[in-house]
Amino acid sequence: MRYETSFRLNGTPVSVSVEPSRTLLHVLREDLGMTGTKEGCTDSECGACMVLLDGEPLNACSYLAVQADGREVTTVEGLSAPDGSLSALQRAFLAHGGVQCGFCTPGMLISATALLARDPDPAEETVRAALSGNLCRCTGYQGIVQAVRSAAAEIREG
Amino acid sequence: MAVVELPSFVRQDGREKVTGTARYSADLSTPGLLHAAVRLGGVAHARIRGIETARARALPGVVAIVTQADVPDLRYGTWVRDRTLFASDAIRWEGEIVAMVAATTEAIAREAAALIELDLEPLPPVVDLEAAIAPGAPLVHPGWAAYDGDARIPREGNVGSRHTIVKGDAEAALAGAPVVVRERYVADGSHALPIEPRAITAEWQGDRVTIQTSSQVPYLARTHVASTLGMPEGKVRVIVPHLGGGFGGKCEGHFEPHVAALARIARRPVRLAFDRREEFLAPDHHRERMVIDLATGVDHDGTILARSARILIDNGAYGADEPYLAQLAAVFAVGPYRIPAVATESLVVYTTTQPTGSVRGPVAPQVTWAVEQHMDVVAERLGIDPLELRRRNILVEGDEGPVRQRIGANGAKTALERAAEMIGWGRPLPADEAIGIATGWWPSFPGPSGAVVKLNADGSGTIVTGAQECGTGSVMALPILAAEVLGMRPEEFTLLYQDTDAGGWDAGASGSQTTFNNGRAVVSAATELRERLLALAAERLEANPADLELTDGVARVKGSPEAAIPIAELAAEAQGGRLLIADGSGDPPAVPEVDAGGCVGRLGGESFAAPCYFTQAVRVRVDRATGVVRVLEVAAAHESGTIVNPIGAEGQVLGGIVMGIGQALTEGTQLTPDGRQRNADMLDYKLVTAADAPPMRVEFVQVPDPNAGPRGLKGVAEPPAVPTPGAIANAIARAAGTRIRLLPMTAERVWADLADVEAGR
Ligand code: FES
Ligand code: FES
Repeated sequence: MRYETSFRLNGTPVSVSVEPSRTLLHVLREDLGMTGTKEGCTDSECGACMVLLDGEPLNACSYLAVQADGREVTTVEGLSAPDGSLSALQRAFLAHGGVQCGFCTPGMLISATALLARDPDPAEETVRAALSGNLCRCTGYQGIVQAVRSAAAEIREG
Repeated sequence: MAVVELPSFVRQDGREKVTGTARYSADLSTPGLLHAAVRLGGVAHARIRGIETARARALPGVVAIVTQADVPDLRYGTWVRDRTLFASDAIRWEGEIVAMVAATTEAIAREAAALIELDLEPLPPVVDLEAAIAPGAPLVHPGWAAYDGDARIPREGNVGSRHTIVKGDAEAALAGAPVVVRERYVADGSHALPIEPRAITAEWQGDRVTIQTSSQVPYLARTHVASTLGMPEGKVRVIVPHLGGGFGGKCEGHFEPHVAALARIARRPVRLAFDRREEFLAPDHHRERMVIDLATGVDHDGTILARSARILIDNGAYGADEPYLAQLAAVFAVGPYRIPAVATESLVVYTTTQPTGSVRGPVAPQVTWAVEQHMDVVAERLGIDPLELRRRNILVEGDEGPVRQRIGANGAKTALERAAEMIGWGRPLPADEAIGIATGWWPSFPGPSGAVVKLNADGSGTIVTGAQECGTGSVMALPILAAEVLGMRPEEFTLLYQDTDAGGWDAGASGSQTTFNNGRAVVSAATELRERLLALAAERLEANPADLELTDGVARVKGSPEAAIPIAELAAEAQGGRLLIADGSGDPPAVPEVDAGGCVGRLGGESFAAPCYFTQAVRVRVDRATGVVRVLEVAAAHESGTIVNPIGAEGQVLGGIVMGIGQALTEGTQLTPDGRQRNADMLDYKLVTAADAPPMRVEFVQVPDPNAGPRGLKGVAEPPAVPTPGAIANAIARAAGTRIRLLPMTAERVWADLADVEAGR
């Protein structure tokens, strides 16, 4: 049994026919070719698979694709501007050493994007708490935390 | 004391990584792709009476199954040839691979793998390290004596190899020492655990196979495929797409031959992608369990007179790098200290557990955790400040190392003092807080490596290298070196890397050796190009090449900037004739001379070339009610030679410290009594999160070393993970008033010790 599932993906309407047991992560990666979202555990442990669902961060590995019907999904591929220019967060991650192997990066950027949407001036502890569902084995988090705070400042100052 | 400011050098692979366009192994797809799944043994130790694949083969969608019967019947291994590709006679640990299935979907492949029936006869597990070497212990490899192995390695029964460092007469010196401290430390295992689980795709075209794999060591993986499948290396091409972290977990060749063999039988491309549990259970990237016995004799003034040590190191069921690492462990048991009499021994012990291997700074964190706690215990016994005890004994220029190598100019003492100053050693703190310190060293690994540098007609450059980028930025930093030689900007270079058919041979992303060795190769190739550019420019400018310089993208006469030609113009001109393309390897620097005559099991690891020296100081808070330890602050002072790419180097130290905090406090492999892992998932095996990671300060001490790499650089990636657990342990001991001699120092263990202290036990 397959269900026709329609949602907006990075601003564009998409429609896929999916079996009800399939996760949003697998449908994004396998059916829709959006491999920027990563799979690190399949069990809500690492945050590598994070996407925005109607603006809220969500582990796509633990969410059924059919549940996304009628909603708005944003992946890392949708974070830069249509002309390809990077978001303030994407630039700050590079400038502050927030990216090493890059495998956690898509999920981190999604988490951080959601944080700055609800809190434009987060304290360091707020950033750390907001990112605590995203595991990074490379950076020790310090560059990432600095990047988020510096991007927040940049966005506030316009 | 040079303090490095961080310029922001943006890594070339950065843009694709922040936009989601970087492709990792599991992101690749190809027409006709089949999906593979592994059938693991699942038990710790058993004899295999039969493997029945009929039910699995009958499942619709299954295309092929491979077992040992389908591959050349030979044993392989780095130092001892103790394993085959698939288990066929016995299962010696739970993750041992018995078969691999290819099917049209991953779900079918996994279902089929589960349908393979194993007829097993249980054998006794061998888990405890002491019990494994006791007389009469069941043997993990009853046929060990018939295995081919390196003749330099003494082995016997479950002792897979034995290594010693001997200098002077330690026994006599201990007997005569005014104060002697003897202790035992026990470390659990832990994992490399990159966030990317590995994926491998193999595709045959004719008799050639192309393998895209998440490997840190593409050339070693190629050799592994060729040798185990009986093919010429030239028929095997290994490509590594973006690699999602390694930390040693993706060293050595692993499942590449299995997937290649399966794809050959299936006559279609096949991809194997591990889930998290399988990644936990992959062989050769488990940090070793250890039992460490230390004895130190000191004079009342704190002068160390002698050190003896015995270290039992878990090898797991099959051997990877452990013999070499055990030799390093025997050196680390001495530490970066001036000790006239030394007798250390390490034994690599076979058990029916996951094979161990290189994880970031292999063996050093556990041994250093024990040695540095031991130093604090010695200091306590003498009533000397622990910082002062280290200051009095740390290696300085002109000292003799553990195998009597001459120690050159180094930053060990400066790093020790800087870390202490940075954290405010000795300042008053609340009763539940304390500062701890630990110091250490780590060698550089000189070796062969190759690179090609070429200039394009538009004046840009391309570096073609065999070096492997696992996220550390080491390959990303190569343009800095080439640009400096050629008077260009790093951004003007593109990189082609991680394809064994393109670049020169390289040992891969292991041993922090990339910039050290491949950097030398790039500098050597760029230097040859430079000569040729200068010769071309000299003709055009009618000048002597010796009077010319390359700078700011032009060749010009020194001191007269108007007589200049753009490098782009020279490169365009060369395109019509002899192209500007050069290769280089350069000569690896010498390793120091040693006097290691009395040592056994020598594999070359005893002589530390161009060592890095480092100290970390941490401040912790111990919650006496729960045993929870929180690291509040870390100060790290590292001597890693010249720092070429400061933002990259700092990132390595920060990441290494946090990995060390995990190993110290929460990351421990929990085993069932028969040696299977209880916590092979990231809920129960806890990594440090952003919320737990403390603020960290990093300083680099730069001291020139003639045996260092290009521009005096040394490795950066591994040392930061080495001293952290020891520094935390010493801080816990001071804050809690009790010393934790088990690693990891979990809340439960700290709490139990505190309860014992309170109960007066
Ligand atoms: S893949 Fe979803 S949380 Fe790890
Ligand atoms: S950059 Fe590698 S896991 Fe975060």
